[in-house]
Amino acid sequence: MKEIFKITLSLTVVCIVASLILGFVYAKTEHARKLNDERIEQQTIQSLLGYGVGAKIPSDLKVYPVYRYVITTEKGETVLGYVLPIKDNKVVLAEMDLSGNPTNVIPIPVELSALSDKATRDNAVNAVLPKGSKSIYAQTIFVADQGGKRLGYVVPGVTQGFKSFIKLMVSLNPDFTVTGVAVTSAEEDPGLGAEIQKSFFRNQFVGKTIELLKKLTVVKEPLPANYAAALDPAKAKAKGLTPEQVKEIKEKHLKDNIYALTGATISSRAMTNGVVSTVKKFVYRLDKLNEAIKKEQLSVAF
Amino acid sequence: MSSNLRLIWNGLIPENPIFRLALSMCPAVAVTTSVENGLMLGLAVVFVQVFSSCTVSIFKSFIHPRIRIPAYVIVIALWVTVIDMILPVISPDVYKKVELFVKLIVVFAIIISRLELFASKEPLIPSFFDGLGMGFGFLFGLCLIGAIREFFGTGQLFGYDILGFNPLLIMVLPAGGFFVIGFIMAIFNWLEYKITGKIPTSGGAH
Repeated sequence: MKEIFKITLSLTVVCIVASLILGFVYAKTEHARKLNDERIEQQTIQSLLGYGVGAKIPSDLKVYPVYRYVITTEKGETVLGYVLPIKDNKVVLAEMDLSGNPTNVIPIPVELSALSDKATRDNAVNAVLPKGSKSIYAQTIFVADQGGKRLGYVVPGVTQGFKSFIKLMVSLNPDFTVTGVAVTSAEEDPGLGAEIQKSFFRNQFVGKTIELLKKLTVVKEPLPANYAAALDPAKAKAKGLTPEQVKEIKEKHLKDNIYALTGATISSRAMTNGVVSTVKKFVYRLDKLNEAIKKEQLSVAF
Repeated sequence: MSSNLRLIWNGLIPENPIFRLALSMCPAVAVTTSVENGLMLGLAVVFVQVFSSCTVSIFKSFIHPRIRIPAYVIVIALWVTVIDMILPVISPDVYKKVELFVKLIVVFAIIISRLELFASKEPLIPSFFDGLGMGFGFLFGLCLIGAIREFFGTGQLFGYDILGFNPLLIMVLPAGGFFVIGFIMAIFNWLEYKITGKIPTSGGAH
């Protein structure tokens, strides 16, 4: 009987010490980890907009986040809430019903830059909503603006991959033509499905217009060798292709479907469906949002 | 000093965790589709093995013998979690690559078996070198398997194209892992037979 207390005490002490160490390390590293995550996200967005590592970012390039919330009102109705940046560095919460009719605009008394933190943002949104309504964060889209001219959009999306979810980001120009695709997190098999992150696969989506995307499928055919070289900037350089030749090859294959990766058809299909559905949903939502902005005569920042 | 070096050598070849002890075979098959994967997981294992061996060696008198296994698991999990939290701060790019592997290490048979067989009996310095040796042995094994599979399966090494075509796609598929490990194990056994003249007895697989 005495021994059981000894054992219990020993194990409890081990667990308490371990959890104290973990708590200490977590508290010390939490802030830095969050900053790193934010920096990586910013870099992904910038490289999708064409400003990769080392490129000089123009000073008038601004990327505005637009946060979408799903709000359940006190009467039990579901409405959409967009946290929009408006001129003079102010922020509003624009509510609209599910068919896109604007219902309400509430100013949020918080700076836009402070809202990038999810907990702060959730609190700010809940604080301006009437009592009894609930809000759930859904998505962030990024609108890029250069000197008052709309440069494009960066839209995150999620799709079911081979084993778990593939998180991706698609950048679009104002006519909704894909300008870049990035995979932000994926757990596909190395050597097979993980090839979706390689530029020769991702760049197959670049240049596809919204009309092409609507009919886009995956074909189980080998990727033509010169197209593969044109899609990968490093390979194009090694093969000595001039930028004009690269452009010509890409134009020739622009209307092609997506060539499946060898041994990873499911991952290829998942990526294609993910990009297509992300863009389709975004185009639909942006259309409604633009209409609502016009009706409410909001002077948005972008 | 020479006994410490022998501990490292011991983990590297004569008691190699994968090819001689046949421990932690599951990750050895699962992640070794390229040298880079093998290297990353191997490095993570070296750290966890060394830290866990040292911790258990220092605190072995405090751990009640009847609850040693749960206590060891907590020690391993502690170091794995600490690495999982510190690495993204030090080097986010490396972390992105090893993120998946680091969390797997808690359940590796090799680490807990070294704690049980070695670190719980020996003082700090030999435990440190034993952990280092076992970690390096695991790293070496993973890199060797990864190199063979990547070269024959994709015609590449470290992601650089060498052949320009895939000689044997099956090598990067799961079945290829079993083939490669089987052949390397056979070579190790054959070498032992040649050197000692005795037919090697098989280790217990986990």
